[in-house]
Amino acid sequence: MQSEIIIETRNLTKVYRDFWGRQKVRALKALDLEVRRGEIFGLLGPNGSGKTTTIKLLLGLLFPTTGQALVFDRDAREVTKNERIGYLPEESYLYRFLNAEETLDFYGRLFNMSRAVRRQRVADLIEMVGLDWAKRRQLKEYSKGMTRRIGLAQALINDPELIVLDEPTTGLDPIGTREMKDLIIKLRDEGKTVLLCSHLLADVQDVCDRIAILYQGELKEMGRVDSLLKVQDVTEIRVAGLSAIGQEEVKQAIERNNGHVLNIGNPTTTLEDLFLKIIRESEEHPGRRVRGVGEKT
Amino acid sequence: MVIDITDVTPLFTWLLGPEWTEGRLFHPLSLTVFLLLLIAGLLWLVVRLRKGHGSTGRGAAMAIGGGSAAAIVLVALGIIAWKLLLLGKAEEIAWTLPLANFAEGLRNSCFKGLQWLLGSGWHQGALYCWFLVIISAAAAVFVVGGLAAALRRGPIKALETSGRAIGDCALDVVRISPRRVGALAWLAVKESIRRRVVVVFAVFILILLFAGWYLDPGNIDPARLYLNFVLTTTGYLVILLVLFLSSLSLPADIKSRTLHTIVTKPVRSSEVVLGRIAGFTAVATCLLLIMGVISYFFVERGLAHTHEIDADSLKTVEYAVGRPTGRQGVTTLVHEHRHKVVVDPSGNGRVEIEQGHRHELEGDWKELLSKESAGKKYQLGRPEGMLLARVPVYGKLAYRDRKGEPTDKGINVGDEWTYRSYIEGGSLAAAVWTFQGITEERFSDGLPVDMTLGIFRTHKGDIEKGVTGSLLLRNPRAGADVKPTEVQIFESKEFQIDNRLIPREVRTPDGKKVDLFKEFVSDGEVEIWLRCVDMAQYFGVAQADMYLRAHNAPFAWNFAKGYFGIWLLGLLVIALGVLFSTFLSAPVAVLATFGALLGGLFHDFMFRLATHQTYGGGPLESFVRILTQQNVTSEMEPGLRTTLVQTLDQPAKFGLWLLAAVLPDLSRFNVFSKCVAYGFNIPGDTILTYTCRTFAFVLPLFVAAYLCLKNREVAR
Ligand SMILES: Nc1ncnc2c1ncn2[C@@H]1O[C@H](COP(=O)(O)OP(=O)(O)OP(=O)(O)O)[C@@H](O)[C@H]1O
Ligand SMILES: [Mg+2]
Repeated sequence: MQSEIIIETRNLTKVYRDFWGRQKVRALKALDLEVRRGEIFGLLGPNGSGKTTTIKLLLGLLFPTTGQALVFDRDAREVTKNERIGYLPEESYLYRFLNAEETLDFYGRLFNMSRAVRRQRVADLIEMVGLDWAKRRQLKEYSKGMTRRIGLAQALINDPELIVLDEPTTGLDPIGTREMKDLIIKLRDEGKTVLLCSHLLADVQDVCDRIAILYQGELKEMGRVDSLLKVQDVTEIRVAGLSAIGQEEVKQAIERNNGHVLNIGNPTTTLEDLFLKIIRESEEHPGRRVRGVGEKT
Repeated sequence: MVIDITDVTPLFTWLLGPEWTEGRLFHPLSLTVFLLLLIAGLLWLVVRLRKGHGSTGRGAAMAIGGGSAAAIVLVALGIIAWKLLLLGKAEEIAWTLPLANFAEGLRNSCFKGLQWLLGSGWHQGALYCWFLVIISAAAAVFVVGGLAAALRRGPIKALETSGRAIGDCALDVVRISPRRVGALAWLAVKESIRRRVVVVFAVFILILLFAGWYLDPGNIDPARLYLNFVLTTTGYLVILLVLFLSSLSLPADIKSRTLHTIVTKPVRSSEVVLGRIAGFTAVATCLLLIMGVISYFFVERGLAHTHEIDADSLKTVEYAVGRPTGRQGVTTLVHEHRHKVVVDPSGNGRVEIEQGHRHELEGDWKELLSKESAGKKYQLGRPEGMLLARVPVYGKLAYRDRKGEPTDKGINVGDEWTYRSYIEGGSLAAAVWTFQGITEERFSDGLPVDMTLGIFRTHKGDIEKGVTGSLLLRNPRAGADVKPTEVQIFESKEFQIDNRLIPREVRTPDGKKVDLFKEFVSDGEVEIWLRCVDMAQYFGVAQADMYLRAHNAPFAWNFAKGYFGIWLLGLLVIALGVLFSTFLSAPVAVLATFGALLGGLFHDFMFRLATHQTYGGGPLESFVRILTQQNVTSEMEPGLRTTLVQTLDQPAKFGLWLLAAVLPDLSRFNVFSKCVAYGFNIPGDTILTYTCRTFAFVLPLFVAAYLCLKNREVAR
């Protein structure tokens, strides 16, 4: 089941310095990550934990202080790797004086695409993100969600193999969010690799195959979403149509076996609980890696 | 239309040194072979490199790094050995003598080889100097960068990194994609439009409208005034505009983070830089084209005027009793001047030159002599000869003293700067110009002489009339005892270009009529002598004061060349602005570009300051002089303060020298507007020379900008 590694970071560290070279923030501390072909990988973490920094390092927008970031087995600073990457920034950093068509056409030209290919691709993408009705308007007139959509379209202009999304669902309406999630899954099904970071845990839980949780620049947890969310020391018994007497009997049977009934009802183990737990533990024991169970899967 | 980019010899002399034709390399055959090989090799390399992917491999990086390091070490050792062994006292240190001989021999043979290949004057050629500077600068960067890397990661890794840096640099330049550069240039144009470049037009038109009131067409040389004005205005506007555009653009993109979206596409830093330069150059080109056309019509219209001749105001002149009469008078006053009008008895009329132009009569001059003309007014045509592009043929000037003997200088009349030397009137003193390249084909009507003479009067004489002078011809190949033949007597005009025609048919003293070319021209050479006829008056002349006007080039074409000069300057400013904007924030980049522009304009002063050619010492010393109110020419009092100040001045001077050496001399670019304004054709080789100069700066600026941007963290 081991497939090709698309993104690899080794001991990746980033220290922001000020003008005089004094150390300001250690935004990322010795990060080791691997993202494999065909998976949706989520980066989680509270504000300021280094998610965007990681992504920028992977795209060569920042240079690592120490360590290495490899994308497609090439150094992240090399430009040619970008031919196979699509990037949706945190906010859509697009030229506000261009309209949707001009924007997409411009980025198409940056991929050295010929005019005919560009025209086709631009029309398809505008159609896909549902901006057909506003394609001749300058981006400065766009709403936040519309800008987000055109940002997504620009990230897909080259039919990339690796898609990097920095908080893809912010600013989107519920339908847009749903569409975005469907799109991410569809891209994965087409064999593409997606790296995304987000706060919206429900979204991450819905789409991600594997996640990594960062806290203050350190990796706290990494693994498959389904196994991470499996609460190992808790056994869940789901029974349908059990009577109150039956429940009492089961309870007694558990206590006989030194079990301890926590709660009887519908379990609510979600990513949210896991996330909060990890953050809380990290605050209590700074520096310690919270080893997860899904690590080696 | 005459496009005079034909004679490239001066250009090549400038590029390749004075004796370049001697070099074996420049023989047609070897040059062709060399160039073909060079081009084919380059093409092969480019094609190969463009096909490849990824960055420089490990092996290639090591090879490049090691090779460059070895070359630098070798050259450095060579220079050190040569300096130590040869310039040090080699005789005293006996054991180094063989080495010294070896070094000297090596140097000589190297030098000989180069001379054989490139001609003996090659080291004066601009091209080699340029290569030398570029290679030294690159080597310096390589050494500094390599040492820094060696300190951090050890020597082997450092060699590999620096080698890779060079390799990647070459790859990034070779693999530039025209489509991407086109897209980025298009973006730069769009951005400029968004920044309301159009406003500059409005400003320009407004300035012209106001200027229409203030520019005085009654000026002594109105064409110069108008041309100077439009060229300067356009120049300043366009240069300032591109300065702001180019130095604000990248910082704005970095600040708004739009650059993030660009550099995460497969766009090389070289393409970002080149795209900007191309885009802003396109903007400047369009602006200059439109402004040029507008200015042209502005100048034409501002100078256009006609006069009338009121027939009744003309006086009748009797040349001899009983002979038919001529008439004389002046035209009406327009643009604050009148022209003298002379109609001779045979009905040939002439309007004299005033303010550098004359007019033609639209009708027949004979009518003015007849009775019918009474009470009539005659309209003159458009001004002619105002907007000119003279193509001068300059001669070499020599002087004769009052006895007619050759002398190396004329008289210095004392009250003027030494530019002109003076010849005495009423004596045999003469100024002798020898012109070359005089052929019948070029001057089929005779020799058109343009003169600007300085006049020095020891007595007033008739102040209304000019001082009388004479022009004489002599064959330079004739024996020393052959006297020059007088061909024309004229009345000098002060402060104006006086144009005279020496006709082909010359009457010799013994009354024979001879052809100028047969009698006075040998091997295309002719001597023209100038004498002052009036006793005790003097003519002041310098070499450029007399030239033959081969023909007039089309003025509009010359005007366009003037704008091309502005364009070149604009290109330089754009490259500077883009360079600074790759590593500075917006306001600082503007300031830096502006500083570089000023530094370039005052290049000469900086250089003199740095090389002790000014009074008052370096910056600190002159500051102390200001504080202590000392004269700039007096020596500073010896003492601790003086020593301290002068020592501290050394690094400042070195800095200035470095700046002056790095910055282009921008003040020279005004040769374009000067030529246009003064009515001279801008020679083709001047254009080529300045084009080469500009690109010689733009190319390294481009590479520097590319390196800065590549090594910048865009997301900081
Ligand atoms: N340009 C910068 N200069 C200095 N410090 C920075 C810079 N950019 C980010 N940082 C610091 O680095 C740390 C990580 O920031 P980063 O943007 O990666 O966080 P994030 O996980 O993306 O947060 P968010 O969820 O808010 O987007 C923060 O402490 C931040 O203050
Ligand atoms: Mg972020």
